Amino acid sequence: MNNILNIEAQTALIEEKKSPLVVKRLPGDLAMWFFILAELTVFAILFIGFAVSEQLNPEMFSQGKTNLHQISGLINTLTLITSSFFVALALTKMHQGFGKQAAKLLIVAKLVACIYIGVKIWEYLSLFEQGIDIETNTFFTLYFMITFFHLMHVLLGMVILIFVALKAVKNEYNASNISGFESGASYWHMVDMLWIILFPLIYVI
Amino acid sequence: MQSTNPNKKNTLSWLWLLALTVISTYVATFLELFNAQKSLFIVIVLFIVFLKGQQIIDIFMELELAPKLWRRLLLAYVILLPTIIGFIYLV
Repeated sequence: MNNILNIEAQTALIEEKKSPLVVKRLPGDLAMWFFILAELTVFAILFIGFAVSEQLNPEMFSQGKTNLHQISGLINTLTLITSSFFVALALTKMHQGFGKQAAKLLIVAKLVACIYIGVKIWEYLSLFEQGIDIETNTFFTLYFMITFFHLMHVLLGMVILIFVALKAVKNEYNASNISGFESGASYWHMVDMLWIILFPLIYVI
Repeated sequence: MQSTNPNKKNTLSWLWLLALTVISTYVATFLELFNAQKSLFIVIVLFIVFLKGQQIIDIFMELELAPKLWRRLLLAYVILLPTIIGFIYLV
């Protein structure tokens, strides 16, 4: 009987070692995740609307896409991914309790995002110089509407990251109170993820 | 992308995302060399969107460690949206 109990105890110990208790936790505030889902839904409607319009006006959209600067779209994708990478590194530093280092990484992320804003403004200005604006045709109405709406999200994300960086510098986050930092980081990654769908849809396909 | 060091994990993910971005931008030029159909190009580009989205969701957003519901909700977005877009373009 004792032998059986011993075997059972040993089996339980081995099982515990095989699958250590991992606490599944949603990073950030629940409210932020609902906000992210709402934002994703709005953009999904815009993306689907763009694709349907392209199927209805294939020649207009094909012509419109030739006026876009694909390399600037590529640069913007690379900058947003890189910016997101620095935010992810900042979150890792914050988890380790290095608030000031995390804030520095957030500043790098914002500086990289400034390249995105600069390129986007240059792209708009070069289109305006060609006499193209939001009223030119359906393609450019959707192009300006979707990309400008996304640009507004980038700017909002940068404001959020500034607040998060300021709080990190003041060491207002710690292991048990890091939700605000995680929420800001998640919002920024959402902005990145939206561009990853937007770029191929408008510039590549 | 299996690594326990978070910095290494983030770096590998970042490099993978950069590579996928460049591939998706120039895949059309590459396929033209083989006279491939546009539909193949669309499928590849949209599949890359899913791969990139999955990296951001699991690694950058850290949802691989989150409750399954939230991870699945976000993954559903990068699966369903490219599928719908692909359906619109190809059918």
